[in-house]
Amino acid sequence: MRTPSGHTVYAMAAEYESATALYEAAKRVRDAGFKRWDVYSPFPIHGMDQAMGLGKSWLSAVVLCGGITGLLTAAVLEFGPSWFIYPVIVHGKPFDWRTVPAFFPIMFELTVLFSAFAAFFAVLIMNGLPRWNHPIFNWDRFSRATNDGFFLAIEARDPRFTEIEARELLESTGGQHITIVHED
Amino acid sequence: MSDRSQALPAPEGEFVETSRFGGLSILFALLALVGLGLGVVGAMVDPAQFSFSWLFAFAFFFTLCAGCFFWTLVHHATDADWSVVVRRQLENIASLLAVMAVFLVPVLLLRHHLYGWMNIPPGHEEALDVKRPYLNWHFFLTRAIVFFAFFIIATQLLRRFSVRQDKDGNPRFTFWMRKLSFISLPMFALCLTFGACDWLMSLNYHWFSTMWGVYIFAGTAGSSMSLLVLVITALRNAGYLQDVVTVEHYHVMGKWMLTFTVFWAYIGFSQYMLIWYANMPEETQYFLVRNTESWWALSMLLVVGRFFGPFAILLMQGFKKRPRRLCLLAAWILCMQLLDMYVIVVPALHGTGVHVSIWDFVPLLGMGATLAFVYLRLLGRTSVFPVRDPRVIESINYQN
Repeated sequence: MRTPSGHTVYAMAAEYESATALYEAAKRVRDAGFKRWDVYSPFPIHGMDQAMGLGKSWLSAVVLCGGITGLLTAAVLEFGPSWFIYPVIVHGKPFDWRTVPAFFPIMFELTVLFSAFAAFFAVLIMNGLPRWNHPIFNWDRFSRATNDGFFLAIEARDPRFTEIEARELLESTGGQHITIVHED
Repeated sequence: MSDRSQALPAPEGEFVETSRFGGLSILFALLALVGLGLGVVGAMVDPAQFSFSWLFAFAFFFTLCAGCFFWTLVHHATDADWSVVVRRQLENIASLLAVMAVFLVPVLLLRHHLYGWMNIPPGHEEALDVKRPYLNWHFFLTRAIVFFAFFIIATQLLRRFSVRQDKDGNPRFTFWMRKLSFISLPMFALCLTFGACDWLMSLNYHWFSTMWGVYIFAGTAGSSMSLLVLVITALRNAGYLQDVVTVEHYHVMGKWMLTFTVFWAYIGFSQYMLIWYANMPEETQYFLVRNTESWWALSMLLVVGRFFGPFAILLMQGFKKRPRRLCLLAAWILCMQLLDMYVIVVPALHGTGVHVSIWDFVPLLGMGATLAFVYLRLLGRTSVFPVRDPRVIESINYQN
């Protein structure tokens, strides 16, 4: 979608007076059936997940996979050499599975390490990072999102998005300074 | 912010009608009389077995009560908001430490059956003589009195301030309780650690572990949080706390259960691995007894049942938000705490294998019924949650 001046439309955005107003507006937008939209506030707002209808994050599943990978990596790297490839008696301990207590610390550490890496990179990917710029910054007022501004933007790529419907919805929820934000 | 922001508690609080539990109270009183009466018989007939059975039951109930005391202290010291609505029950259970002080008396009376070091005169064993400045009867008794004096004074004060705040809602009680908790937290750590060393570790005076106090504490905190889940659910099933405790509070309690499942395993494994790896005779004897013969099966059950099972289950977020399922697991963790205390205490008597005696159950029955009876009496006296706490609304509307 383009504006008459030829810019690509990124979103229809509005500013709200308070966290409560933003919270109530989010519930209205959720119930109107929009999927591609976001809210911006200077601090986390409790209950916003439910108000936006976000559901449970997939992050925990990714972290679980990372943790299991780490555990298996440690098990293979420890049991492989010391049980099968090059068995050596150290400190009078057996070299088969019964020596597993000595391996637990490494298993624990690699599980934690791989989980942490999985969490770190999954968060970056899920948030679409890294990137140089974001279209929402094309809106002057948005700089207050880190100070005292509460914003809601419905993106143009949402299948339900039409300029008129989005504007009416934002107006009816008490949004101010409603504006079209350009993609570039 | 949520849809529940209008939920306001009635200013006078929510009271349990004691008449509803009249029958239950009488039942507990009868069971307590039977249990304690049979206990006297047991102490006459088979004092050696009975003293260990009694200590095992004492350790189990003591850790549960002390754990609830710990959670009260943590609540005040960290100014937590979620735990306001469950705090009164923590205070009620912590107050039972006064009853536990009475139950310590048989341990002191039966000391010669329990603690071998008390029967060895000075000069007979050098390994013991170097420990005499700590391990002697008079100091042992003094410590027990000091520990329980602290437990009783602190729990009674905390409960009294909290109940007085129900009447006038004066925030200064919150500050008093917080100051008391700051002083009490290090005191609690010392009393629990040295209590665990005195009453449990010194069963074998040769053996020592610097992680012993932390190990006992880990089981204490996790199992008492499980007990709290059960108590709160029981109250809710009876029709109380309906609009006060929500699924969000269950989620937090489930998270604490997970935390202390992991912490228990971390400490338990660290203690085991350091001793196993160093392989020094005076340290390994503890695990040699417990990891051989039929004790091996119970030790393995403890490792799997106290850690691997609950850990995998509690990792799931949805599980912690379903009170009924969480209760099943909480009951299981309590059973595992019981097993943990059994594996700590009883092998000191039956070193060659598991030997279950009828006397193992009598003290459990007597102590449990007495504590339940006193708890029901305490429950009816006050509102079931601190209704005028400055943060009670915040706590009711708590969201994760």
